[in-house]
Amino acid sequence: MKKEDTVKLISAEGMEFVIDKEAAMVSQTIRNMLTSPGGFAEAEHGEVTFPEISAVILEKICQYFYWSLQYSRGKETEFHIEPELTLELMMAANYLHT
Amino acid sequence: MPVLRSREIPPVPPKPPKARSKVDPPATPTQGREQPATRLSSPHSLTPSPKTAGSVSGSAPSSLRRSLRLSSKGSSNVGDQVGLPEVERCIESSNGDVSKKRKLSVDVDGGFESGGSRVLSLRSGGKVTKRSPLGDGDVNGGGGGDEVVESNTKGKSIAETEYIEKSERDNEKENVNRKRRFSSEEKGKGKLVVETDLESKDETLVNGSVPDVEVPAEEVKSPDEKPSKRSNRGTNGGRMERFRDTARRNASRFAYFNTQEEEEKEEEDNNNLSMEAEREIPSVEEQIEENVAEDWPGPFSTAMKIIRDRAANLNVRQGSSSSGQVPSVKINWVPQKGKGKEGSKRLAPSLLDLSLRILVDNADAIASLDHVPDALRHKLCQMLCDSRRMNSNLLDLLLSGSPTEIRLKECSWLTEDQFTECFEKCDTSNLTVLQLDYCGQSLADYNVPSTLARSPISLPALTTLSLTGAYRLSDAGLSVLVSSAPALRSVNLSQCSFLTHGAIEILASSLASVLLELFVDDCQSIDAMLMLPSLKKLEHLEVLSVAGLESVTDKFIKEFISARGDGLKELNLSGCGKLTDSSLKIIAETCSILRALDIGNVPKLTDNSFGHLASGCRSLESLKLCRNAFSDDAIAAFLEMSGEILKELALNNVGKVGHNTALSLARRSRNLVSLDLSWCRNLTDEAMGLIVDSCLALRVLKLFGCTQITDVFLCGHSNADVEIIGLKLSPLLEHLKAAVESPLQYSSVSSLI
Repeated sequence: MKKEDTVKLISAEGMEFVIDKEAAMVSQTIRNMLTSPGGFAEAEHGEVTFPEISAVILEKICQYFYWSLQYSRGKETEFHIEPELTLELMMAANYLHT
Repeated sequence: MPVLRSREIPPVPPKPPKARSKVDPPATPTQGREQPATRLSSPHSLTPSPKTAGSVSGSAPSSLRRSLRLSSKGSSNVGDQVGLPEVERCIESSNGDVSKKRKLSVDVDGGFESGGSRVLSLRSGGKVTKRSPLGDGDVNGGGGGDEVVESNTKGKSIAETEYIEKSERDNEKENVNRKRRFSSEEKGKGKLVVETDLESKDETLVNGSVPDVEVPAEEVKSPDEKPSKRSNRGTNGGRMERFRDTARRNASRFAYFNTQEEEEKEEEDNNNLSMEAEREIPSVEEQIEENVAEDWPGPFSTAMKIIRDRAANLNVRQGSSSSGQVPSVKINWVPQKGKGKEGSKRLAPSLLDLSLRILVDNADAIASLDHVPDALRHKLCQMLCDSRRMNSNLLDLLLSGSPTEIRLKECSWLTEDQFTECFEKCDTSNLTVLQLDYCGQSLADYNVPSTLARSPISLPALTTLSLTGAYRLSDAGLSVLVSSAPALRSVNLSQCSFLTHGAIEILASSLASVLLELFVDDCQSIDAMLMLPSLKKLEHLEVLSVAGLESVTDKFIKEFISARGDGLKELNLSGCGKLTDSSLKIIAETCSILRALDIGNVPKLTDNSFGHLASGCRSLESLKLCRNAFSDDAIAAFLEMSGEILKELALNNVGKVGHNTALSLARRSRNLVSLDLSWCRNLTDEAMGLIVDSCLALRVLKLFGCTQITDVFLCGHSNADVEIIGLKLSPLLEHLKAAVESPLQYSSVSSLI
């Protein structure tokens, strides 16, 4: 993966997730951060920090991004979510507009 | 096997019950037939059917489903069989397969050979030569079938075949008693030229004669000739008469339905069929215009005139090529194959929805709802209430801490004890929104003080209160509640049937200067005139809903609107059956900032109301009609004038909505987000396609009961964002979004403090 096509999502604990830009753009919030004019640090460095989202949840969210891309390309599978993650995942998804 | 899809209700009353009960084995044909006879108390006996039942039932070719059905009806099929040729003829002219089937089915009758025999045998044993399929019996009946057939070729073959089959089923039932059939003729449903003589007239009517949609006068008196024919059962003329009558009647039904469709079909296929039909339309429309009093203000009457002229232009533009922008009653819209929904990518369900669904499924495992924002709590509660998984444990979770908003759209599961237990210990000091809909089981006068109104300052921040369905709450209980909630801005007391006008007095005495929204739908014990003085005291009322209150009269509207109408932003008068146009006049004149109006189920309103509305309420964003008697032209003219700002329009069951409205919607309604066209049966696929492709802001389109809409529209429209509800089976509750997202509809809370 080339550097220009990726973004880095950083969780609350500091764990970093490097994913494709296209996948990250599934989230409206991230899309706005990366594409809005104004020279924001996120857009320049390609890094977004989420101090309220834990690593487990962020990992699941990244998995969701890729699943969503797959789904819209035609491969419609089921996205499994462990029930114990659901509440936090819901709140993170709400924040990320995804 | 024919699939009994939902079909349009035919205008002829006696038929549908018979049609439905039609799947009889041969053993019971007589029974089925006797019923119609007795119902119409015809003097004719049912002798023909039993006699010939035996002869016919044996000869049914089993390969054809239709013939099976027909054969089981016994002798009445004799009549039916000959009635079929007419339909056959037309069908064959365009649809070879179907016609073959029908032809064969004709052969069911005793004496027919299978495989295309041309001989009809009469009861008396004589044979009547059946001409070529094109020259069969009653051309007009065929002509009527023609219209049906044309529709078939346009891709509605299943529906139309249904009708034909149904009509034949009907034929079978009714053929036994010719008096019956002729009596429905007497009702004037017959629209085709009557043949009095079988053989000679057949020649003249063969082929080519296009049935007029409008009934020549002489046809209506044709029933007079029939009794003589009917009495003479053995003759050719009598039988053919019967067949013709049946087909005529049914064809007229089809013609009636498909009139406007025929106009567009002509555009597409360039046949001359509906030319005469079109010419009839302008005259009909003009008649409608003449009937309405012309006292509308200027711009509206101008708009009406424009619409009328559209129809007049019909004849002028008739031959011109259909290039889309012609403002005629014809709709020019071609489905775009490949674009639209199929073309756009399937959107993955959002992570939020996925996690909400799992949460709802595992609701019992939720340990805490702290830190969950209110919006998500409401979504969760809504889904829990919809799936009936809400329980008191979850309510405890919601009430823990110091909640700010509680929205339970449905509390019928909540018992009184649970309610008392949960709310006794709830800290309500930060509560701004409390919605306990359908809480009748839980809330009564005696537990208000211990739960919600524990002290005079127990609900200091409450701005929005909704206690619908609290049927045990009386004026006294409400008084206690209101005294603890001095900051109330919005009160919803719908369906609290115990409350009287005293409740409104209580509200007015303590909340006169702050109350913005009041909903008293269906509060049967509240008399509108008695509550009028209190209502007038509410200084800043923005929203008033008195839906379902029969005591709301023109006088009430006049006095209230004169006093407080200039501040009203939303008015719901749905179901107030006594209102007339004069109320709308006053509303239009006074309520200049009215944004939402609901006048559904007010049957006395006429097109004059639209005239007033168009000139008066210039800010109207939401208009809801239901079962009103407005005409197509009036709605179209209103849209021409005020359609630009309209965001929500409901024309539910406004039966006269037709192509003028569709054209106006397409041209004017740029901002329309939600459209309800349920039960508007005059709109065709083309009209719908035009609307959806032109209203680019449209997101929700409700089409309940629009069985005339087919995949031509559903798969052919090119608006990828619109969600069409009501045609396929789909979970209904998903489409009912939560009513209000914010505490108040038109003001923000902070602006008032």
